[in-house]
Amino acid sequence: MENNDTRELLITRTLNAPIELVWEVWSNPEHIAKWWGPTGFTNTITKMDMVAGGEWVLTMHGPDGTNYPGKHFFKEVIEFKRICYEHFHPHFVATIDFEADGDQTHLTWHMVFDTTEILQAVIKAHNAAEGLKQNIEKLSAYLANKMNNHA
Amino acid sequence: MIQRRDVFQAIADPTRRQIISMVAEQPLNVNAIADSFDVSRQAISLHIKILVECELLKIKKQGRERYCEVQLDQLREVDKWLAQYRKLFEKKLDNLENYLEKLKQERQHGK
Repeated sequence: MENNDTRELLITRTLNAPIELVWEVWSNPEHIAKWWGPTGFTNTITKMDMVAGGEWVLTMHGPDGTNYPGKHFFKEVIEFKRICYEHFHPHFVATIDFEADGDQTHLTWHMVFDTTEILQAVIKAHNAAEGLKQNIEKLSAYLANKMNNHA
Repeated sequence: MIQRRDVFQAIADPTRRQIISMVAEQPLNVNAIADSFDVSRQAISLHIKILVECELLKIKKQGRERYCEVQLDQLREVDKWLAQYRKLFEKKLDNLENYLEKLKQERQHGK
């Protein structure tokens, strides 16, 4: 079957906090709004139904005022153990595993992307670059033409 | 001496892109791929040959059948694309860490 290496991300982190606290900041919308999203962003969570099949709707507000709406669906939620959600645009499934270790918590964050979608993103980026190149070529040709007519 | 083609050349052609998208979902029999296009079998063979040369496709023989499998390793752009996600999520975890620290401090000193 296909090689998965190019469409998976695995990030592990040991957090200096007991599992109850880590779970609390992950599962309470008031908390998650304070750390989700890039630095300098704020978040509005409109819905967070943490059960299998539940919706999780949030909007990230960029520092420049741009809004980034995002929709996720929870696939699996096991208290103090696992959160698995699906995200669209781009399409990926994220699984976060929690493991207690005394006063610390080991977190494993695993994301699997949709190969076809990645491929299309790459192609789109490439086509945009090609299009730009062609536009520049067209512009120079047009300018050259104009100059000649004026000569 | 085969001229090494560049990956972007490979995916610049719409037919080749379609072939990759088809095979990205599951490995397919070469004949089945050819049958789903309106162009000649030779034309499709040439497209497949180019994709194989670019190492975007692998041909696997099963008995007398030839199967095409996608190989995305060559699409280094994909890695770049994933790298930005990695950065984003590493950052998310940094934020989570900082936030947990802050909460712990607050709770230790009583609210």
